[in-house]
Amino acid sequence: MTDDLSDSPGEPVGRVLGTADATPLQFWTAVSPDSYLQLDDVVVTRRELPDREPVTIAGVVTQVRARHEGAQFDSDVFAIADGTLPAQVQEAAEITTTRVDPEFYVPPAPGATVHRAEGDARARALHFDRMERRIPMGMGRDGVPVYLNADFLDGTRGAHVSISGISGVATKTSFATFLLYSVFRSGVLGGDAVNAKALIFNVKGEDLLFLDHPNTRLDDATRAGYAKLGLSAGAFPDVRVYAPPRVGDSSGTPDVSSRLTGVDSFYWTLAEFCADRLLPYVFADADDERQQYTMVVHSVAAHLARYAQPADGGVSIDGVRLGSYADLVDHVVEQLNDDETRGDWAGSAVGLGTVNAFARRLIGSKKDLGRLIRGDLATRRPHSINTAESAQVTVVDLHNLPDRAQRFVVGVTLKSEFERKEKAGTAKPLLFVVLDELNKYAPREGSSPIKEVLLDIAERGRSLGVILVGAQQTASEVERRIVTNSAVRVVGRLDPAEASRPEYGFLPPAQRQRALLAKPGTMFVNQPDIPVPLCLEFPFPAWATRVSEAGRAPSQTLRSITQSADPFAVVGSGSTDDDIPF
Amino acid sequence: MSGPPRYFVDAWDPAYGASFEASAGGPAAPSSAQVEADAELPAVDWRAIDPRPQLRAPDVVLLVDGVRRIDASVWTAEDDGASFPGIAASYAAGVVRCDLERGVAELAGARVERGLFTASPSAAEVVCGQVRYPVHRVGGAGELSKLPAAVQGPLTALEVAVSDAARTDGDLLVVDGPLRSRRQLPRTLGYIKTQHSQYLDARLTAVVTGLRSGQRSPVFKLGTAWGGWSWYLRLPVAAGAPWAGIVRMECSAELTAAEAIELADLSLVTLPRFASTPYKDPRAPQNLIPIAGLERRLRGLLGDARLLHRALTAAARAGGMRR
Repeated sequence: MTDDLSDSPGEPVGRVLGTADATPLQFWTAVSPDSYLQLDDVVVTRRELPDREPVTIAGVVTQVRARHEGAQFDSDVFAIADGTLPAQVQEAAEITTTRVDPEFYVPPAPGATVHRAEGDARARALHFDRMERRIPMGMGRDGVPVYLNADFLDGTRGAHVSISGISGVATKTSFATFLLYSVFRSGVLGGDAVNAKALIFNVKGEDLLFLDHPNTRLDDATRAGYAKLGLSAGAFPDVRVYAPPRVGDSSGTPDVSSRLTGVDSFYWTLAEFCADRLLPYVFADADDERQQYTMVVHSVAAHLARYAQPADGGVSIDGVRLGSYADLVDHVVEQLNDDETRGDWAGSAVGLGTVNAFARRLIGSKKDLGRLIRGDLATRRPHSINTAESAQVTVVDLHNLPDRAQRFVVGVTLKSEFERKEKAGTAKPLLFVVLDELNKYAPREGSSPIKEVLLDIAERGRSLGVILVGAQQTASEVERRIVTNSAVRVVGRLDPAEASRPEYGFLPPAQRQRALLAKPGTMFVNQPDIPVPLCLEFPFPAWATRVSEAGRAPSQTLRSITQSADPFAVVGSGSTDDDIPF
Repeated sequence: MSGPPRYFVDAWDPAYGASFEASAGGPAAPSSAQVEADAELPAVDWRAIDPRPQLRAPDVVLLVDGVRRIDASVWTAEDDGASFPGIAASYAAGVVRCDLERGVAELAGARVERGLFTASPSAAEVVCGQVRYPVHRVGGAGELSKLPAAVQGPLTALEVAVSDAARTDGDLLVVDGPLRSRRQLPRTLGYIKTQHSQYLDARLTAVVTGLRSGQRSPVFKLGTAWGGWSWYLRLPVAAGAPWAGIVRMECSAELTAAEAIELADLSLVTLPRFASTPYKDPRAPQNLIPIAGLERRLRGLLGDARLLHRALTAAARAGGMRR
């Protein structure tokens, strides 16, 4: 017999079928009566060739079926169960090939023994042996870790992750945070892990505000699961949480309800708003871009950048001091309505209707953005989101903000982070950006300033070290170039109508069906190395995902950023030359 | 009140003949079949017998059957220029073990054999690939038309061999066809689907054709060479032709009348549940479900006929078959 492979791949489970076509890429295996195969099991078989070394064909089970052999009619099953008709139950498994080694594409011979791949054989079948740096992603159905090739995450050969699935059941953000945890804690990034940063936008609830709190519901079984993946179960050690200021609160305290300590508020001063030309991000709706007033937006932004002077927190334009966003809007609208100044602000070739449309929108933004763009708070106070100076994980809470304000924060933050990385010019340290509801920020139709930034990240972020971990309910509604640029595609439970779309073509039919009933914590991960998506279960988060799970807060979060800032630091001092010499 | 004559469509597929075939000049003549009808009930009292209450079917019923197939007809070329016909046949016998207690029917044993049946004195074994056809030399002139019958002997021997291996205590063995040489097997019934002969006289036959489903005739003894205790029973069947669903059962002549009656009662509670359904089986209900399943399995075991024919042809061309 030529059946026993030299390096004992595992117990034999069956033989290649001869009643169905065996092809190099897919074949059926009859399962021996005393064993079984389940979906996602990894198997290996071997084909002897006359004039060269044998070919090892490895694959994963993509379908399993059982039949009564000897039954002709459906009702024969009753006779068989009754004990009158002899029949044999025969199980068969469809194998989709993952690896042919050496690459010589011959079909397996019918009758050849199929082994359950274990140990090294399994790693080889799933290409784990070729991965120099492996990031554990979770457990396969067989309870053994499955890995992600770090080369396809950190930009070496590919970057970006796209996660799709129904809200609530697909556990998209949980998987994204687990992936981050694994990247930071598994040691695959080596020394880079220390400086690698993550920027997470918290879109729904206060789920992600407790990343640094240990999970009180963590049990020994979960800890063992983490240990099996080579990780220690714990909270993120270094997290900084930003939340927008409360509405109508002049002191700028962060607007959070469950997490009370260690939250800093973020906002932009009017001076920054004008100097950095942030006005276009107020009009970041996709249908804003279709309107005629885009020209007005840019013209006004340019005017503000040119003429606004910082003045004690606020700005002064044309000698008028403006102390709040509402003041600024009122001033701009007033100037636009004035026939004499309109030309200066909006440009000469713009119709009155267009200017009015712009003004209406601008006035509409007062309520949404008033608390984010401030002229009344001390300029010295730290208020900006800058991952380079922040903790390893920066969480930006958006869930209390209205839609327009969410777009503004995401757009401006991503733009400034991307520009900072652009200036730095090096890919290291890496910046992971986790953004849910990508279909809202980068919809397939239309264009907007945020979509431009996200497209920039998707297309150039790989070389600049900005890794987008995007999540969406429906990948079909996200800009195609962002999805296609994602090296790693992840799918949780899918909506049946969504699953049939071509965006999920990487899922074989059986997995596409299974994605409809994937339970929380089960994901299908497709990476460029492996031709078949891997089904995995990632462990329960070791950090709190809601206030009821949160253990004791880590000590450093008890200080807020305002307390940690040195109150005696010299204002505006960039260097240490002026320090008191002791 | 002379309406049109009543008629029934026989449930069997016409290809299998009818379930009752009284051959014209056959042994139906009362003289050749000496029937002792008085074993259970006096002949004058003959009537249909219902199942005995409280009698349970045995837990394990074994059903034996064999199939045969002619893979190729061959002609030998003798040294003296003569030629003998021969057939290369595959035949298989198997036992289904119906464990009614557990509700499991399984193949308790099956064997496949092949042979070259010919009268040729010089024929040698045919080997084609992994398949061997040993020679079974047939006596007499060995006309082609007689050869298929020659397969029956080895097949019956094979059936006996496989059924011996599967026997356990307290089971009931049902053999497809007359018992013939198998009468020594204990607790064994012969099951005859097709009625070729009319053993009983007209009055007693009326009792048989008057049986309702699940009833049997009284036990009678046949005095023929292969004779023995026998009785008719009607399997569950939709009301139909007089002989529809009627099978004849046999048991060994060496049993006492009481033992034979006991077996007859046992058959009446056992067999009806094995009866097949007309739309699934062209020979329903007489062709029992386990037998039909067994035959399918055995035919599968015989191997692909076209493949074997091709192998035989190739072997003949290569000179594997004696010239």
